Amino acid sequence: MLHTVSEDRFRRMKKTGSIHYNMEIKKNLAEVVDKFPDNPIGMQYFYKRFEKFLDGDDNSFKNKKVIASMCIHVPLELIYAVRAVPVRICSGAYSMDQIGTEFLPAKTCPMVKSTLGAIYLDILPGNIDPVLIVNPATCDQKKKMGELGEELNSPLYMLEVPPTKDTEEARRYWHRVVKKFVKKLESVTGNKITRRSLKKAILMVAKAQAEYRRFNQLRGMAPVIYGKDAILLTNAYFFDDIERWTQKLYELNNELDNRVKERKYVGRPNSPRILLTGSPSIFPNMKLPVLIEELGGLVVYEEFCSTSRMIWDTVAVDEWFLFDMIPAVADRYLKPSTCPNFSPNNDRKRKILKGIKEFAIDGVIYQTFTGCQLYDMESRMVGHYVEKMGIPTLFIESDYNPDDSGQLITRLEAFLDSLKNKK
Amino acid sequence: MKANKKIIKYINNTNLSRFRFWFQIFSFIIFVYGSYFLIDLGQNIPTFACPYNPGSPGTCFLISIQHQMHTTWSALFSWRGVGFLTSLLSFVLFFVLFNKAWCGFMCPLGTIQDWITKLRNRLGIRFSNYDEKSFKKLSWIKYVLLVLLVFIPLAIANSIFGLPKVSHDMMSPFCQICPARIILPLFSGDTSQIFINFRSTVTLVMSLLAILVLALFFIGAFVKKRFFCFFCPMSALQYLFSKIGILRLTKVGDKCTRCGNCSRVCDMGILSIAEDVTSVNVVTDNCMMCFKCVEACPEEGCLDVKVLNFKLFSSTEEGFFKRFNPAGDSKELPPSNQKI
Repeated sequence: MLHTVSEDRFRRMKKTGSIHYNMEIKKNLAEVVDKFPDNPIGMQYFYKRFEKFLDGDDNSFKNKKVIASMCIHVPLELIYAVRAVPVRICSGAYSMDQIGTEFLPAKTCPMVKSTLGAIYLDILPGNIDPVLIVNPATCDQKKKMGELGEELNSPLYMLEVPPTKDTEEARRYWHRVVKKFVKKLESVTGNKITRRSLKKAILMVAKAQAEYRRFNQLRGMAPVIYGKDAILLTNAYFFDDIERWTQKLYELNNELDNRVKERKYVGRPNSPRILLTGSPSIFPNMKLPVLIEELGGLVVYEEFCSTSRMIWDTVAVDEWFLFDMIPAVADRYLKPSTCPNFSPNNDRKRKILKGIKEFAIDGVIYQTFTGCQLYDMESRMVGHYVEKMGIPTLFIESDYNPDDSGQLITRLEAFLDSLKNKK
Repeated sequence: MKANKKIIKYINNTNLSRFRFWFQIFSFIIFVYGSYFLIDLGQNIPTFACPYNPGSPGTCFLISIQHQMHTTWSALFSWRGVGFLTSLLSFVLFFVLFNKAWCGFMCPLGTIQDWITKLRNRLGIRFSNYDEKSFKKLSWIKYVLLVLLVFIPLAIANSIFGLPKVSHDMMSPFCQICPARIILPLFSGDTSQIFINFRSTVTLVMSLLAILVLALFFIGAFVKKRFFCFFCPMSALQYLFSKIGILRLTKVGDKCTRCGNCSRVCDMGILSIAEDVTSVNVVTDNCMMCFKCVEACPEEGCLDVKVLNFKLFSSTEEGFFKRFNPAGDSKELPPSNQKI
């Protein structure tokens, strides 16, 4: 290993790191679960999954190769089609963020640093041992992180993502990148993608998508679930067995459907309905949604790459052969993405507008991580756009450090109160 | 009201492509064998009902134009012009009913191309598509053909700019190279249209060109979906009146995520259907209104097929997941949510 610290220090880092990480999980999960009354019974499964977040007692990965991914631009269907399991390792742990500071400047995005730290110490969700870590070259931080593979002694693979998605040139380029990625997957896993296996994979993901869309429909109908739960369960999509996840979401949806009928709502009648957007909230960093909902807001829609952007969009194939299926899957991971690394990114504005309309939003809260330039830069554009529609917006710059919650509470309280008064 | 909702849901969940497949067979029989059933639809049909085919129930409007343009200027601007205008009017009346769905649902030549596509699909051979640049360039050809098929007959009857008149052998110039003239009679057992005419240089060139176009038609359709439609002057002529069609394909731009599903499945490879988020009417000159895009759209009510303002068929989540289910079995998907 080429890393800069002595082996002894590395061992100590790993030991303390995992202790801190576990403490963080326990504490933050307790905040998500215990502070709120009558959580849906269907959520219990997801809470339990997060209790065992780092342990490897999950049987779904048994005898299967794991491909770790970092962004929403990694085509999951292709990974399932080579009979491997994708696990998204984007990390929200403050303890890992501190480790990542060893490699990247202190003012880098905490999500990248945290993920880097987790890879370095090999403390990944589900205790996985990935044969490949796919790192899409999206933002600058991710790009530079991709160069650290050797130093981290981990199989980082750079998936080239075009800087724009609107042109046909970018699309063709992306198709070629994905084809190359297929070859890589096949060589790493030793399995070939076949028509059958890819069909099956597309169907499997489509089922999850259909269920997730139903979940959003229910959320739009009535305030039956807290946003923190919604974020948590989409976070579980990162690492959970997809078929089980779909099944559990199906059960939860049925419960929520009953709640809609029984008018069993969460929050108060005058709770401001909030749309969250910006840098993604990833467990255990649930600081912002938990604070908002503790203070009487209600997050009803999130435009995050850890939630709706990841699962929402679907694959449509015209001819069910590999020559059409692979580009179809590729398109799904490029065209509808609203990642700010694409320029222009008007789709993001339109998506937020759609969210505001469909979910009857009262206010938008825009989260930016310190060092996350792209979201920071887009905040002005999005802010203007949203304000023009008469929807108040609150910008919050924060990171994984829990110390700023006092200050956050003051700002959130003021914002939410102003929204309540308007209602 | 509940029954009404059920019907709407049933319609939006249907596999429209399957319906189209059977509808195309039905209209193929009408437009190729119609006269045997004593059907007569007149001389201004806005699709390839080819009179060279003994079974045809009428005449394609393109042939009417070519004939009526074969006249002197003075005649054209006298009462004879009124005759042309009436036939144009009856073409438009036919056309406004179904708009460009004449191409997607009724054109026999289009249907044959779709069958060739099905054959290729069976064989598992990949298709190809134009890139954006060629798409734009090639889109012009149909307008050029349309202008030529109007002006060549005029140039036969008149001297334009004092130039000598065009040879009489150029009569109905488009029909001379049209693949429908050769293919459709074959379905009635008439092989007389397969010929090379050595009578004059003009007929020789035109009949050779026809064979070439015929070959291109079959090879092209095997390589690219709806290859010929790209160059079809009927499609160009129809588009001139498309705005007044009562059958409409509309889009609600705000609901679009630009995922590109619609343009992916488009047989004509139209990209603007996905990219354009401001237009309401999304029928372009290359569109044949097959409505595959509506089938492939997973956003609720983003793309609609309307008759005037009445929604006939809309894109829905549920319908999407039913249709684009590779297992082909809708039961495998979790039951849908019932809105209250």
